[in-house]
Amino acid sequence: MTQITNETEFRRVLDGLDAERQRAVAAQFVKHILPLCDDERIARVTDVAASEDVSEDRLAEALRTAKATMTDCHARCGAEGDWKAQAGYFVARAAVAALTPAGQLPGGLAWQAAMSSRMAKTCESIVTGEDLAGRESTEQYRILTDYLNS
Amino acid sequence: MTETELLLWVRGPALQVATVIFLVGVAVRLLEILVLGRKVDLAEARGSAVAGGLRTIVMRSFADRATLQRNAFTEVTGWIFHIGFFVTLLFYAPHILMFNSVLGFSWPALPTPVIDATAVVTMIALVVVLIHRVANRVMRFLSRFQDYLVWLLTLLPIVTGYIAFHRVEIAPPPLLIDIHIISVELFLIVFPFTKLMHAFTLFMSRYYNGAIAGYRGVKS
Amino acid sequence: MSGATLERGIHAFKEAIDAPVASFFSSCVRCGLCAHACLFYTETEDPKYTPIHKLEPLRRVWQHEYTFWGRYAKAFGLSKPVTDEELGEWESLVYDSCTMCGRCSMVCPVGNDIAYMIRRMREGMAASGHAPEGLIGASQRAVTIGSPMGVKLPALQAQIRHLEQDTGLSIPVDVEGAEYMCLLSSMEIMNFPEYIGAIAKIFKQANVTWTISSEAFEATNSGVQIGVSDIAAELVQRVVNAAEKLKVKAVISPECGHAYFAIRWEGPNLIGKPFNFKVLHIMELMDQLREEGRLKTTGKETQRLTYHDPCQITRRGGVVEQPRNLLRMVAENLVEMPEHGTMNWCCGAGGGVSSNERADALRLKVFSRKKAQLDAIQAEGLVTACSNCRIYLEEGLEENNMDIPVTSLTETIAEHLADEGQTGAQ
Repeated sequence: MTQITNETEFRRVLDGLDAERQRAVAAQFVKHILPLCDDERIARVTDVAASEDVSEDRLAEALRTAKATMTDCHARCGAEGDWKAQAGYFVARAAVAALTPAGQLPGGLAWQAAMSSRMAKTCESIVTGEDLAGRESTEQYRILTDYLNS
Repeated sequence: MTETELLLWVRGPALQVATVIFLVGVAVRLLEILVLGRKVDLAEARGSAVAGGLRTIVMRSFADRATLQRNAFTEVTGWIFHIGFFVTLLFYAPHILMFNSVLGFSWPALPTPVIDATAVVTMIALVVVLIHRVANRVMRFLSRFQDYLVWLLTLLPIVTGYIAFHRVEIAPPPLLIDIHIISVELFLIVFPFTKLMHAFTLFMSRYYNGAIAGYRGVKS
Repeated sequence: MSGATLERGIHAFKEAIDAPVASFFSSCVRCGLCAHACLFYTETEDPKYTPIHKLEPLRRVWQHEYTFWGRYAKAFGLSKPVTDEELGEWESLVYDSCTMCGRCSMVCPVGNDIAYMIRRMREGMAASGHAPEGLIGASQRAVTIGSPMGVKLPALQAQIRHLEQDTGLSIPVDVEGAEYMCLLSSMEIMNFPEYIGAIAKIFKQANVTWTISSEAFEATNSGVQIGVSDIAAELVQRVVNAAEKLKVKAVISPECGHAYFAIRWEGPNLIGKPFNFKVLHIMELMDQLREEGRLKTTGKETQRLTYHDPCQITRRGGVVEQPRNLLRMVAENLVEMPEHGTMNWCCGAGGGVSSNERADALRLKVFSRKKAQLDAIQAEGLVTACSNCRIYLEEGLEENNMDIPVTSLTETIAEHLADEGQTGAQ
């Protein structure tokens, strides 16, 4: 049984997955932090990302929706920053990564989804004061482990 | 006033006054600019301000390709009337004689038929430029009374000169020349108060532009 | 803004007029070429967006104060004074429809540097109380909190901790004697914190010592954007104090256009003395490392990539070739937009425009210029080196249903760093 327990392993395994499997794992990462995003569009597109046997068109449409949500949610330059809202932005960004076709994002789409998901947790931690990002990495190792062994 | 008195006045006191207003006016305008000064740049230089400034003085006459394509009409008509104006002013034999009497040296003239043709082209270009100024959305929006006045005062010397040269029978030849000289005097008098100052200040503006950019390592 | 009055505005206008400004106003022949260089005009065809027209109140002050005939006209009551109402009208021209990109300054046949004049005009606009709300808020937060977006040190520390975990590298804070002190823009800290991780990786590979200062980490200079030199100088001084305290060789400006221009070119002039450290944009530093053979990459992006030049870094800043040198290391299909480098077209969001909600609709409208540039080369990916450009390019692309990912140059380089023993080929 494969166990992912550190960052190097995590990265290496993600890199080795094909595009479809990367998308499936990425969707799991996003689902885990979904509560941090108020926008219901992200919940919908994450479901699409998580579906098996989904058409290219549906994926493309979901990606467009995710991108639209992401640009709606980002912090405006010079405006008073709201870290809670910013968490939502990173959830959207993770969803965008999960739906992006292979080869377009440096580091791979699953890696980017994982990073953005952790960012969302960091934003939450800035609001609550707890150290949550580290915990999220551990959760992601668990998610990947479960996926590989399923 | 008799014809002779007018002639003496136009070529005498009037010309002197106009020239003085022109020279003093231009000098005052240039001094007014320079006196404002420019703070020394304390940032670390990446390139040479002087080299940049001198480069832009020359190169700004030539637009980059995309800008040229986008504004072909303005650029081409602008080039034509400026070159035409200066060729007519500087390379017509009687004008050179006049400059010689003031400066003490002269230079070769162009054949009179060439000057004649140049004057025609310049006049046409100036008319076209006016139509463009009125028809073009941006130019129309920007233009003030001064822009139209300057246009007229730039055109008049060429038109009156052309009429005088061809002895068009609307008045006796000496009077035609007087009118031409009066149009030049008007041009000289109004010069320092208008955008005609660009003839001198463009060297400064281009220099400042190139110097500011050159200091940062940019060719402008 | 407290104490803002028309009088103070006019006074600031007068102070703003130096020899270059006077020369520029004297030289304008109303040819309109500046309009055709400005995306706010070309994409709206509204002549009020003609660059030189945005300066009209300043021009009248120049005329009445600094030309002999203008002064006489004023003395005889023949001049039209600048009114508070007029400045109110001009506010959106000066702040919503101008990013100080300087493209107009490149094409004016008589050599006018119109962007230079706009920067100076903003001093008067702000002093008279006619600056956009968003910018006023940002400037106030910058002074009182240290960041225009209200990003406080604990938030930055949380981001740093997270990135240290992700990268496995330490992100040094307040290290005295480090070679480089890196600034960060609030936009990066909030929207693209991975930039910090990226530079950590790059510096590790290149064996560079660096640090962030807990006392002066903000790169964005809201004072320059709004046009209040006192605020701008205060923000620069904080950076200078930190750099001197930490005894660094150079301050590194991050991926933010106006931040670079503010610290590199305005900085010493704002505080009235030269810096005793260098200022480099992160791209300049990376390119230096590349030249020294200290930056080793592997693999190449294969999609059709193009580079968007942030106006303040390229045309106004002088960093032109470095991004191209760097991208050629990691991209095999790099194409240039038809007008690139110092003649590039602005993203439409710099110079305070993106902070200004009132300008949103206009900003999105004029994106069509960038769209046309991208369509012309059928770009598949867009790389840039300014987080403001980046996010607003994303917005523009999204609005126009264009599926082109936008990435950061620094992050792209970081992603292609070779592990030890791995260089060059895939």
